[in-house]
Amino acid sequence: MEVLIQKENIAVNVEAKDWQDAIRKAGQLLIDSDHIKEDYINQMIDGVKELGPYIVLTQGFALAHAAPNKDLVNQPSLSMVTLSDPVEFRSPHDPVKVVMCLACTDKVTHLDLMSRIAKKLMKENIIEELTKCGSSDELYHVIND
Amino acid sequence: MNKPKIQCVCGFGCGSSLMLRMAIDDILKKHGLEAETFCGDVGSCMANQCDSIFISRDLAERIKDRANVPVIVIEDFMNAQEVEEKTLAYMNSLQ
Repeated sequence: MEVLIQKENIAVNVEAKDWQDAIRKAGQLLIDSDHIKEDYINQMIDGVKELGPYIVLTQGFALAHAAPNKDLVNQPSLSMVTLSDPVEFRSPHDPVKVVMCLACTDKVTHLDLMSRIAKKLMKENIIEELTKCGSSDELYHVIND
Repeated sequence: MNKPKIQCVCGFGCGSSLMLRMAIDDILKKHGLEAETFCGDVGSCMANQCDSIFISRDLAERIKDRANVPVIVIEDFMNAQEVEEKTLAYMNSLQ
């Protein structure tokens, strides 16, 4: 089975000074692994500025993403960071400890990826479990095993 | 009655709305209910023909005054129990 989040797209206990920085850190992993271009990060941040913190889907967890974009996204992909210090998005589900970035090229190519990650994330206490991971290896196994 | 069309809405119609749609699909299947589900973005969702809109609290504020179908607000997209209760309540309201 194809992995949901590649090891190089995972980081734990990342320092972020605010919610924008948290999205940048999670997005930077996808830049470094050549999945997205920098402007995709700006669009994810602009999305929250414009539409509000609805991306904080549940207690402690934000799903950052921008509109599908073939020019800025090389292939559908996910990254995930856990934060050493939680950040506020001004959401009822603050503070946020886990940020996942979704990069998509269109509205359908990432469907299979999302359906599999959604199943993982609907598990009870999963956010707690993710924040307890002390290494990216450990988090990789929680997500992909 | 025809299958109801449920539109799941988020900012761009491809991320959180998709997670919600998948959760709803699972619930419908589990309870042997039939509905068509699809994703929309908050900017264009009002133009899509549907029978109900499932949406997060803060985005709901943007559309609730203009919507001419029931708007079901989901507080926590990953709370399986909340999504199940609200999906079933909506489906029951159609009977």
